[in-house]
Amino acid sequence: MSSAPYNYNYIFKYIIIGDMGVGKSCLLHQFTEKKFMANCPHTIGVEFGTRIIEVDDKKIKLQIWDTAGQERFRAVTRSYYRGAAGALMVYDITRRSTYNHLSSWLTDTRNLTNPNTVIFLIGNKSDLESTREVTYEEAKEFADENGLMFLEASAMSGQNVEEAFLETARKIYQNIQEGRLDLNASESGVQHRPSQPGRTSLTNEAPNTKDQCSC
Amino acid sequence: MEEMMETVVPQEDFDRNEQRYLRELELDGHASVEAKFGYAYCLVRCAHKQDIAKGIELLEDLAEHHPEGRRDYLYYLALGEARMKNYSVALNYCKGFLEIEDNPQVRSLQEYIQKRYDKDLKKGMAVAGGAVLVLGGILGLGMALAKNKNRRDK
Repeated sequence: MSSAPYNYNYIFKYIIIGDMGVGKSCLLHQFTEKKFMANCPHTIGVEFGTRIIEVDDKKIKLQIWDTAGQERFRAVTRSYYRGAAGALMVYDITRRSTYNHLSSWLTDTRNLTNPNTVIFLIGNKSDLESTREVTYEEAKEFADENGLMFLEASAMSGQNVEEAFLETARKIYQNIQEGRLDLNASESGVQHRPSQPGRTSLTNEAPNTKDQCSC
Repeated sequence: MEEMMETVVPQEDFDRNEQRYLRELELDGHASVEAKFGYAYCLVRCAHKQDIAKGIELLEDLAEHHPEGRRDYLYYLALGEARMKNYSVALNYCKGFLEIEDNPQVRSLQEYIQKRYDKDLKKGMAVAGGAVLVLGGILGLGMALAKNKNRRDK
């Protein structure tokens, strides 16, 4: 890692989860590149993206782990939940099955993250109104019942994509301000980067990493 | 990409996946594809070369016997070989993958490995270049001494 002063004050770790083909990678791509990726192949394991955003005049680097939706990756993607400050849980408004599976995704998220992890529900493909299978009201009710933030978005048009990522960050930042997150705990998913040069030793390096294998 | 390549697997995940794999091996005489892949996925992200090599072995076996998941195995074979610094082997896996399917994830892995490879080559060339200089110096000195000796003998 470079010894130059960081150009951001915080790092927030996000994960994106949800069934196969709901558009997780496309949402990430739209957020980081501001472009729609057509014909996006299935993600292999996990994909990674970053972007620096601003909340309350503070620069925040979002480290986003985009997980594969395919069932056979479930075991390997579970490792990425730990230490996530934000979880974007995605379903496809035109495929009811992806909505029906949300409770299982939510159970995993609750079990594998910390109680302060901000969970944001995204109903993707809102541009495909004519083939909609899940109403806004129904999903909104589910979100309210489970204490989730919620928006319908479109990775294709870009509608509400920024909002979902940014609102999650605002909520995490608010939790920090209110003292609900212990920044020294690696599982908080937040790292504080002092912007003054020479004080970087206060920061945690990649949390929870394994120094060596046991065999 | 650096995060993907350099992040070492958390001990907890490693232990869980290893235990699952070993338990299945013990109980059934063979491990399921999921358990094997989970374990291999952890191994190739270990810090030690012997662990990575073990992961590569498992992935090679999976790729050979389970074509339905071959693209995933190829990707992690490339990642494992790159972490072993076997860059040309890793690049071959990327190339093999891209011949079957164009994939931005694999393309960025390929680019990253290529960069590492070029850097390594340059470093290797610098070392080799240094060696040539040193060797040249010794030879030159030797020749000069020999010349001197010849002159004195005359």
